[in-house]
Formats: sequence, C-alpha cells, structure tokens
Amino acid sequence: MSFDRFAFTRRQGLKAVLASAAGGALGAFGRVADAQAQTRAETLRHVLAGTVNTLDPTTPGATRESFGLSTAVYDRLASYGRKQVNGSWVFDFDNIRGELAEKVDRSADGRTFTFHLRKGATWHDGSPVTAEDVKWSLDRAVSAKSLAAGQIATGSLVKPEQFKVLGEGVVEVSLDRPDRLALANLAVPLSPMFNSTLARRNATAEDPWAQTWLKENTAGGGAYVVEQYKSGQQTILKRNEAWKNGAGGMLPYFRRVIAQTVPEAATRANLLERGDADIAIDLQSSDISALEARGKIKLVATPQINGFTAIVFNTRMAPFDNPKVRAALAAALPYEAMFEAALFRRGRALFGATWTEAPNGTFPQPLPFRTDPAKAKALLAEAGFPNGFKTTFSFSAGVAAVAEPMATLIREALGAVGVDVSIQKLPPAQMASMEVERRVPFFISAGTAWLPAPDYFLRNYFTGDHRWNFSGFSDPKLDALAQAARFEADAATYEATCRQMVDIAARDVPMIMVWQPNQDAVMAPAIDGYTYWFHGQVDYRDLRRA
Amino acid sequence: MSATLRHAGWVLRGNPVTACAAAGAVVLVAIAVLAPWITPYDPIASNVPAALQPPSATHWAGTDQLGRDIFSRLIGATRLDLGIAVSAVLLSFAAGATIGALCGYAGGRVDRSVGRLVDVLMAFPLFVLAMALVAALGNRVENIVIATALINLPFYIRFARAEVNVRRHAGWVEAARAGGESHATIVLAYLLPNILPAMAVQISLNLGWAILNAAGLSFLGLGVQAPTPEWGIMVAEGARFIGNGQWWLVAFPGLALMLAVLCFNLLGDGLRDILDPRMRT
Amino acid sequence: MSALLNIGRRVGKHLLASLPALFGVVLFTFLLMRVLPGDPAAFFASGPNAGQAEMAQIRETMGLDRPIPEQFVRYVGDLARGNLGQSMTTGQPVIADLAERMPASLELTLFALVLALALALPLGILAALRPNSLLDHGVRFVCTLGVCVPTFVTGLLLIYVFYYLLGLAPDPTGRVDIFAAPPPGITGFLLIDFLLVGDLAGWKAAFGQLILPACTMALFVLAPLARMTRASLLSVLGSDFIRTARSVGMSDWRVVVVYALRNALLPVLTIIGIVFSTMLGANVLVEKVFSWPGIGSYALDALLASDYAPVQGFVLLIAVIFVMVNLIIDVLYGIVDPRISLQ
Repeated sequence: MSFDRFAFTRRQGLKAVLASAAGGALGAFGRVADAQAQTRAETLRHVLAGTVNTLDPTTPGATRESFGLSTAVYDRLASYGRKQVNGSWVFDFDNIRGELAEKVDRSADGRTFTFHLRKGATWHDGSPVTAEDVKWSLDRAVSAKSLAAGQIATGSLVKPEQFKVLGEGVVEVSLDRPDRLALANLAVPLSPMFNSTLARRNATAEDPWAQTWLKENTAGGGAYVVEQYKSGQQTILKRNEAWKNGAGGMLPYFRRVIAQTVPEAATRANLLERGDADIAIDLQSSDISALEARGKIKLVATPQINGFTAIVFNTRMAPFDNPKVRAALAAALPYEAMFEAALFRRGRALFGATWTEAPNGTFPQPLPFRTDPAKAKALLAEAGFPNGFKTTFSFSAGVAAVAEPMATLIREALGAVGVDVSIQKLPPAQMASMEVERRVPFFISAGTAWLPAPDYFLRNYFTGDHRWNFSGFSDPKLDALAQAARFEADAATYEATCRQMVDIAARDVPMIMVWQPNQDAVMAPAIDGYTYWFHGQVDYRDLRRA
Repeated sequence: MSATLRHAGWVLRGNPVTACAAAGAVVLVAIAVLAPWITPYDPIASNVPAALQPPSATHWAGTDQLGRDIFSRLIGATRLDLGIAVSAVLLSFAAGATIGALCGYAGGRVDRSVGRLVDVLMAFPLFVLAMALVAALGNRVENIVIATALINLPFYIRFARAEVNVRRHAGWVEAARAGGESHATIVLAYLLPNILPAMAVQISLNLGWAILNAAGLSFLGLGVQAPTPEWGIMVAEGARFIGNGQWWLVAFPGLALMLAVLCFNLLGDGLRDILDPRMRT
Repeated sequence: MSALLNIGRRVGKHLLASLPALFGVVLFTFLLMRVLPGDPAAFFASGPNAGQAEMAQIRETMGLDRPIPEQFVRYVGDLARGNLGQSMTTGQPVIADLAERMPASLELTLFALVLALALALPLGILAALRPNSLLDHGVRFVCTLGVCVPTFVTGLLLIYVFYYLLGLAPDPTGRVDIFAAPPPGITGFLLIDFLLVGDLAGWKAAFGQLILPACTMALFVLAPLARMTRASLLSVLGSDFIRTARSVGMSDWRVVVVYALRNALLPVLTIIGIVFSTMLGANVLVEKVFSWPGIGSYALDALLASDYAPVQGFVLLIAVIFVMVNLIIDVLYGIVDPRISLQ
C-alpha cells in the first residue's frame, strides 16, 4: 500500500496491463450456447442482508449493495488490480488497469490524463462506445445532484471544463494541480460510464441527467445485463457475451447471477451450508468458526484493510473535549476481552502497539492503546475527575451483534475506574442522525475508505466538519498536514507527514480504532477467485466454479 | 366470599391444569421477589474466559457470549419481565376500565367520540404501532410499558363499556341512583367492582401477551438496554447461536418465557371457569 | 331484492362511518413518524462523501424541508390522488411496492388462517363435547402452548429442524424456488396462479415454501380460535333449544352439527375477523424470519430506517383492510342471522 510506487511506476504498469487486455475474441463463443438452458452450475446465487435500492449507484441514498451491483453492470474508465495476500485475493490500490479505456497517458506535470477508449467496445444495446459518452458521463458525475460529485471532488475533479473530447475515442481530463487521487477516483463505483444516447433519450427538462430513469433502468456496457430487478427482493443478472473489458479480455465465468435478499443471518448460513446458495459475505462472526469447523463451506477471511471499527469520543462535548479524559478512557478499555468475546478474534487488532513515536506513516496501523486501569485512574485524577463521571455509550441496533457485547464489557471496565456508563442501543436511523448532529458523547462507529491512502484516511476521519469526522476532531496542525499530504509529490516527505499525523491521532485520542474486522466471505467449496474489494461487495466478474 | 373460595377450590380440584398454572404463577412471583438473594452468580458480571460453556454443575444453564451465568440471568430477568407485564396490563386496565365504564354509563356524545378514538386505535396494526412508539419515545423500560399498555387499551375500553352498558339500568344501579349517589360514585364504587371479575380473565391472558410483546420488540432491537437481563433479549441473542449448536443460549430463556406465558394463559382460562356462574353446580 | 338493498345500505353506512377512523389513522401515523427521533436523511446519506449537501438533497426529495402542516396537507392531497409517496429503502413508489407485496402477505395469512381453522374448529368442538375431560385439558394445553412461544422462535426452530437438519422443507427464502421459472402473474396468489396455468410442479413448490411460515403463524392463533369455538359451542349446548332438541330424541350428532354448530359459529366469525386483521399486521416477524416478500417485512425495514412513506402507506393499508374485514363480517352476520339486519 505504499504510495510512492503508485505515483511513479503506475504509468508503465498500466500500459502493460491494458495492452494485454486488448485481445479477447472470446465473445463469440458465449453466444452460441446462450439459447441453451442455463444450468445451475453456471448460475451464481449470492445471498445478502441488504437490498439494492437503485440501479444507478450515484443516486443519493444508494445502498452499498447498489454500489456492488453497479460494478458488474457498468464499466469505469479504469479499475484497480488485484493481488494475492496470504492465499486470498485483495484489491491492489497500487496497480490500476484500464477497463473501458485501454490506455492512459499522463502528462509530465501530472495535470492531464489522456484516455484512449478500447476499440470496438459496445454498450449493452450494441451501439459503439464513443468519447462523447465518456464526456457526458464525467459531466454528469460533477454536475448532477448525486453522490458522484462529492466523491470525485476528492480527486480534484469538479467541473465539466476539465473533460475534453480530443478526437474519436480519446478523452482528456485536466487538473488544476496534480492530485494523487485523481485517477483512483475514476476507478470507483461512483464514476460509471453511461450510454449517453440512451440516457439522454430518457432525460427530461427537469431531469437532464436522466437520474429518475436510471434508477430503474440501465444504460451501461458492463459484464452483466440486468435481467430482473425487484428492489428489496432480488436482482438477476445475465452475462454480456460481447464484453471484452475485463482483465485479459476474458468473459466472467457465470452466465447468470442471482443476488437475493435474505435478511436473517442464520438463514443465510443455513443456505450456504446446505449448498443452496453459493456465496455470502455478511454472516455473523459468531457463526463463522462453527461453519468452518463443520467443513461444508469454504471460508475466505480477509481483514478489511481499508476499514475499521472505532470507539469514538465526541471531542466537542464535555468531558470528552479534554484529551486527558480521552486518554484515560483509552487506558481503561478492555481491548483483549472485546476482541475475544465480541469479534471472536475475527479481524486485525489495531490496539496494543508499544511505540511512543509512530514507526512509519501507514494508516490505519496498531496504535499504542493498552488496558492499564492504574494509568486510567491517574489520568482521570489529573483531568479533574478523581471520582469519575457519568456518561452514555451508544450504538446502532443494526450492529448490535458485535456492539452490544462490546458495550457491556466497556461498561464493566469503565465502572472499575469510576466512570458510570449507561448503554444506549438506538434504532439505526436515530443513531445516524444523532451522530450527524454530534449529540452522542461516546459511541461505536465504523468506516471504510474507498481510496486507502493514509492521507485520505486521516483527512476524512480526523479533519473537517462532515460526518465522517466522527469525533468532530479539530487540530490545526493535523488539518494543515492532511492538506499538504494530498498534493505532496515526494515520497519521503509524504511518509514523514503521515507519521506526524499518526502521532497526533495516538496522542490526542479523538477516537480509538480498535480493529479491522474480517470480511468473512463464505462460499460453496467449488467457488474460486473471490476478491476483497475496497467497496466491500462481491464483484461477480472475479468468481468461477472450479 | 367463602362460597367463592370453596367454588374456586372445587374448580381447581376438578381442573389440574389450572391448579398447576396457579402454582406456577405463585412460584414465578416468588422468584421475582427473591431474585437478588437466590441468583448463584451476578447476572451482569462478565467472565470472558468462561464464555459459551454448555450446562454443567457449576453453570446449570450454561454461560453466554460474555461468560455470564444464564441461570442467574434468567432469575434476574423474572422480576423485570413480570414487572413490565404487570405494570403494562395494570396501566391499560386502570385507564381502559375507567374510560370504558364512564362511556358505558354516560352513553350519548361522550360515548360516541371515545368510540371513534377506539376505532382509530383498533384499526392500527398493533405490533407496528408498539414498535413505532418505542422507537419514537426511546427504548427504555417505561416506554415499553407505555407502548404495551396503549395497544391493549382499546380492548379494555370496549370490554368495560359493554359490561357497564348491560348493567347501567339494572335494579341495583337504579336503586343507588334513587338513593342519591353521585354518578362518579355509582361508576367507581358500584359498577367497576361489579365488572372486575369478568375483566380479571382478560388481565391474566394479557399478562402473557405483554411478555411476548416485549420479547418481540427485543428481537427487533427495541427492547430494554444491555446489560439488563430480559427473557426476550436473551432469546433473541441466543437465536443467533442456534446454528452453532450452542442450543442452551436460546433453549433456557425460551423455556422460561414459554412457561411464564403458559402459566398466565392457563390461569386466565381457569379464572374464566371459576367466575362463570354456569359452571357452578 | 330488498335483502340485497338492505345489505347495500349496511355496506354504505359502514363505509361512511369508518371514514373518520381512517382519517384518524392517517393523521396519527403521520405525526408519529414525524416525532421519530431518527432523521431519514442522515440514515440514507451513506455515500462515501455524505455531507450536508447530500442530506439536504434527500430531505428535499422526501419533502422534509417544508413545515409539518404543509407536509401533511401535501400528503393528504397525494393520498386523494392515490399517491402514497416514494420509498427511500427500495427507491420505488410505495403504492407499487405494496401492490406487489400485498398478495404475498394475503396468501400467507389466509393460508395460515385456513390451516389454523382446520385444526382449531375440530379441537374446539371436541373440547366442548367433553368439557373438563382429559381431552378438554389436553386441547387447552396444546393450543395454549402455541401462543406461548414468540413467533420468531417458532420460525427459527422450524427452519432449523425441517430445512437444516431434515432437509424436508425447501430453503426458507421467499415464495418460489429461485431457480424455477418465474410464476405466472395473474392474481398474485401463487397457489391459484399455478393451478390456473396447470403447472402442478410449480404449485407444489409454492406450497412447500408456504407451509413453514404458515404453520408458524397458525400455531400462534390456534388458541383464540379453539377457545372461542369451545366457549361458544358450550354456551349453545347449554341453551334451551338444544335441550329441547335432545329431549325429542334427536341424535347427538345431528344436534351438534345441524343446530348447535350453526349458532355457535357466529361469535367464532367475529373472532376470525379480528384474528385475520391482527395476523396481517402482526406477521412482521414471521415475514422477517422467512424472507417473505410481504408488506410486514417491508414496513419493518422502513420503520427502522425512519423511511416515512412506506410505514404510513402500510398502516393505512392495514386500517383499510381492517375496515373491509369488519364490513364483510357485518354482512355475513346479516346473512347468517337475519334478525340482525331487521334491527
């Protein structure tokens, strides 16, 4: 995940991979068999807890499952690569390859990217992909009132003037300043490429970007076509036999994908174990070890390297506006017991480091938080609370399976140092609004960064007024460092800047990232190729049945 | 009075099921009262190294995810669950019987407008209404009680109204009126006590139902807050471990819940027989 | 003819009388949703860059940026035009969602009710014929047992035993086998649709999906139905005309079936109505456990997300059904017992 490689060697890497993907005469092969009955073996049944609530991932209010589905239905200009870590596939942030574009040229000053679209690429309706389609899609991303604008602004992509059609199949994207995350932002689910002719045909005067129509319909060219969409129940996808934009130009293995909502976690586990479903990524931690032990399924456990679970202090509310109080509580938390009893050790711990100065600039990394009640008591006395105080600890009912045992243990441990905690489990919507309005003093939250660069993490979760700065933390030095890191071109300086930021996060303790939970993907033994993606959803294009 | 007792004794003898239910209810109340003195372990103290142990001589009903003794939690929960059920039912009974009796007695416009309000409540999907109420007021014990009481209210109002309506022109009521008693006295001192036995049946049946209602709310994350032990939450949490073969997490709380509800329901049935004059011979 | 007219008048009167109640339901639900402390905008603004702008957009889409009285007037105006609003959870118009999911809930509830009646009526009759016998106590005990287990526990246990352990039931995920051909959409009631097109295999599959959730629900309503049958039959059997019938030497069987049962069914009918409307509103948990694509689970998800429109639509729908069921029972009463319609 080191950043310098990303910035300086990616260009050659990208070209090489793009070239190898250009072949791909496999499309015709699929079409022959298409009319024949699709067998169960060629169908993937994915059972999930959530629902796909829109086919356009950029719709405000879109669920994660909608993002996941869109990766299969739409192509983006580029895509992250994937690599094998400890025998399982994870996304590779340092290796971006082309998807709809087969080649990208980056100018020497890092301010212009020139995308060359893949020759012969077509949309689902058979019409050719043009540079105008790409321009329209990018314009839509920055202009329409949607989720896309906020996301790709983190890559300094903010206005239509930045996108120019240079000729047939060539689009130029220009930046005011070289931004480390500009290209990465064109590989996320929020920058899909649309068939602009089709979309525009369904646009109206009030809705020039066809946002209403695209919620229910698709205008894409991705690996799969939506065959049936029943929001809240299931979505059925059919393979696009003409698709050549994957790695190596290969068609995905499964002809048909069924993504079905099954709200009860125990039922999802039963389905997998009985062999009726092929994959699920959202089972309960408590079920996983037993499922694995019984041996009827295959488990791919990947720590979510770009996510975290955190115990957050509201730094804008007394007594947590006092860093000593925060440090005291950080020393009182029962880390090991929580990791054991609430998460069943299914993840990567981010507590228990022994350093006093950050050894490197990666983030998240384990910070020096350890259970030490004596130290906690001393710090509380120093902060002016020798007899402790009363507070509430909140979490959303939606994450109760892990959060409730955590809360119980925290209450017990803090009670031992004199802090009287009452537990507040709130309905999900209420928790969300209390968090946004910063009315909860002490709570559990979780986050996932799509672009797992240390500076992106620290900027999003430790600075600013938006909701992802859960603790409402504000430190002038950290703010300045986070902004500087974004445009920093020198690797050593970047690393040093990040290290400084990590030190501040460890010293001032606005929140305690306790662990990175595993993405426990449970699948039928024959399923192969599952990849952990930054968006946390299954990318059906990776999977095959061995 | 002694005749009633003798009748009750006769019914209980002839009706072993009701006798058992009555005994069970007494035991439940005793457990609830004595809970703090008879729990072998602290029901909320965790002991992570001993988590998820099957039933044994040390932990009769096993331990849960945090190593807490399930048997102790079950006993501790009795008080809260009975408390929720009893206070919810009493609340809706007190309010419902009074309102209903007044309506039945007064008749006319008051009766009609209250009747409209009751219609509105009856037309609601009641469980969803309870959920929305708890979500709106916050999931604390008192709000669960209020929500449970409110969704029971229309039944009590209707029941009391109908019973009073039948009696309001009875000879003894007319006599009281002629004797110069105020309307309030007639309703509260004459009519309400008279319909009480009939309502006792309803109360007993509702007790069981109130416990189930609280359990359902817990299953959806709208129950009482951790770490307070409550049967419904224990069942809901335990249900997560069924697939793992850790059956004791759900079986024992489920059993406790079932037995309590069973007691109240059978008792209600029995009460009906005791109070039904046609059963007297 | 005059009987028909009579029925028509009763129906009209009943409907008119229920309008204020329906309005009350609409108003009360509306207010209740507005006092929910959750802000739907905060919940749905979950995009990677959820900021104030995104939340403001969502509030605008949901019409929440306007004052509450105005929101209510707009809502009632929309209702009058048959528009129940838009669901944030599914992204569909609420009316379309409800229309699509209603048959699933209705089919499940009706099937469960029939199942419960098929058990409860004979059991209630048996118990009433031998009051205070071992049989009576046994029936009472077994029926009560059903009400004592929360439906979500019954459901999870049935799944565990019949699907996971024994493999007898199909996977508990909705109404049809996901790999089979989609059902013909004629009435929305799968058991009827499959029969109409003569697809027996499909019918069997749909029946298989239905049986576990229906049993879960039926168990829960067995007790009130059986209890009411028993009580009502007992009181009829004790009445004068039965004594007379017996004294003139009619066979027991004839007395019970022809005379007593017919009279005893009236109160049972009322209970059936109440049970049916309660089941429709209360099968929230059963639908959740069995991934049943009905209106209950739909309302539940919406409620937890503070998604106003679907909850309001659901409550209104249940209220309307409640009114209709009462109406039907009222009319049936008139048919079964002509004395009532004379009043």
